[in-house]
Amino acid sequence: MNNDLISVNNLSVEFDYQENFLAKKQKIHAVQNINIKIKKGSFFGLVGESGSGKTTLGRAILGANKISSGNVIFHDDNKDFDLTKISKQELKEYRKKAQLIFQDPYAALSPRMTVRDIIAEPLEVMKITKSKEETDERVREIASKCRLNLEHLRRFPHAFSGGQRQRISIARALVSSPKFIVADESVAALDVSIQADILNLLKSLRKELNLTYLFISHDLSVVAHVCDVVAVMYLGHIVEIASSKELFKNPKHSYTKALLSSIPSIDPEKQSKAIELTGEIPSAMNPPSGCVFRTRCPNPTHDCKEGNIEMGLIEVTPNHWVDQCCVNCK
Amino acid sequence: MEELLKIKNLDVKFDTDEGRITAVENVSLSVNQGEVLGIVGESGSGKSVTAKAIMQLNPGNTIYNEDAEIIIDGENVIKFTSKEDLKKIRGGKVSMIFQEPMASFAPAIKIGDQMVEQLLLHKNIKKEEAKSISLDMLTRVGITDTEKRFNQYAFELSGGMRQRAMIAMALSTMPKLLLADEPTTALDVTIQAQVLKLMKDIIKEYKMGVIFITHDLAVIAQTADQIAVMYLGCIVEKGPVNEILKNPKHPYTKGLIAALPDVNNLDAPLKPIPGNIPSPLERPSNCVFRTRCPNPTHECKEGKTPMGLIEVKPGHWVDKCCVNCG
Repeated sequence: MNNDLISVNNLSVEFDYQENFLAKKQKIHAVQNINIKIKKGSFFGLVGESGSGKTTLGRAILGANKISSGNVIFHDDNKDFDLTKISKQELKEYRKKAQLIFQDPYAALSPRMTVRDIIAEPLEVMKITKSKEETDERVREIASKCRLNLEHLRRFPHAFSGGQRQRISIARALVSSPKFIVADESVAALDVSIQADILNLLKSLRKELNLTYLFISHDLSVVAHVCDVVAVMYLGHIVEIASSKELFKNPKHSYTKALLSSIPSIDPEKQSKAIELTGEIPSAMNPPSGCVFRTRCPNPTHDCKEGNIEMGLIEVTPNHWVDQCCVNCK
Repeated sequence: MEELLKIKNLDVKFDTDEGRITAVENVSLSVNQGEVLGIVGESGSGKSVTAKAIMQLNPGNTIYNEDAEIIIDGENVIKFTSKEDLKKIRGGKVSMIFQEPMASFAPAIKIGDQMVEQLLLHKNIKKEEAKSISLDMLTRVGITDTEKRFNQYAFELSGGMRQRAMIAMALSTMPKLLLADEPTTALDVTIQAQVLKLMKDIIKEYKMGVIFITHDLAVIAQTADQIAVMYLGCIVEKGPVNEILKNPKHPYTKGLIAALPDVNNLDAPLKPIPGNIPSPLERPSNCVFRTRCPNPTHECKEGKTPMGLIEVKPGHWVDKCCVNCG
């Protein structure tokens, strides 16, 4: 039996870019050569700085971005969806199974619709329920699962706080009974006290509804707490994958190390000794040749500096994969 | 150390269509020269409104109470009305760094021109001199290729660089007091570490007083000397950063610390603070925290205990109502 829900094979996503209408057409390599497998029922974390391609990868897996090469396969119970060859009809079916929770709960909800209508909309668009009664019943069921007060269903979003709004967007994503959820920075806009609440909700819903998550975030401490497996992205490439405990205890890639050392400590006496990366993330239009990290690597080998080393993940300990170039850099 | 800023009994209210909203109530605090005061709290707790009151940047429907005092250099700046006076606190003695650097630069004016303009407004200097000060400041904040950046627009810089340019601009007039409103929230962790280190160095060098507003306790722990915790417009606990974080007395402070994911113990469950922050229109009477307090006393629950800070240890102040709650 196949335990993977999603397998991504050699996936690349490129965008066309033209500075002005006279300029030469260029390609932006947003995501390059990604191989990941997401196990059923797992909480798969994706971290990296802005511009590293996290969101593009998430959208490509949902079929919301064109795939330039490689493929994404969604293994349903008795059917595989290959997103590169999917037909329109199949894509509609796929949308019921894979859903997205957005970052900003203030922008994601229409101010002119009641909470009930917001949550019911996917059911009506996807024609999942037959009658209004059935829709209402389903909305009430999912709203109570997301710990929304049922009396609030008739209100408009402006009456709710950030945490409650995020619960509404979660309810909307879950109403079509999906199996796979992409949570794109879903707690980034929330205060810490509410953030913990939403994370606990996502965790409990996973068990209750057999969900699999792709959890995209730039906050490592949050990822460490909820995710089973974490992939670190840099400039369109995955540079390290490991279970979250292993990654935090034993980071191998110098980028992961720098990220971890940058998390500020709550103890004022433990002044942080952040490994400072010099410079900024290079432009995706003109990425460095060979190892993409070499322009910021604190300790590149001679070959790496010259851009002679190809990227590619190797397994250093069981289930801990690191980019081969940077295994040897300190 | 010399006292730079003193706020006494500040109330801020807003007149809205739905009624008069209390945003800040009875806030008193002070900042010494060379000292960083961190203000933490959830969104809607009145952190930014307090800071903006110092520069009188709150919108037109704001009402300050008559007996409020914001003293800078012996002058009560909250009573300032003339343009000349306001200039002293807006960019002169006080500067502000905002959360979203893209929104704080004018999009259609070159960064250099914006820096020079504000220097010319506040200092009696020539244009060339202003330019050389600006270029020097940009170098100080770690921007390379300053001549080129000077002639670029805000959208041409990356997020981290924009925030650094913002800091350079805020510091170029050498303010005595810097208000930093969530300066690193929009940044990635690696850039955040860079910006925090830069700010610390500059604060030390120029001996400024700083009010650092954030909702991230870990950032406060790394930068501040003093800390004030705000909830629904009131300061509920304040004191030295080490004391407050290691020995919190108020249930809200305890809750905020417990809600942070702990990187050293990944199996620990996440503990949210139960309940939601009440809408300012339904502000609880007396102790504002009672609707979310895990262990309110009977009298507090009824809303009978007034708020007010008492000193539990030298320098450590806690709201008197909640000292006894679990």
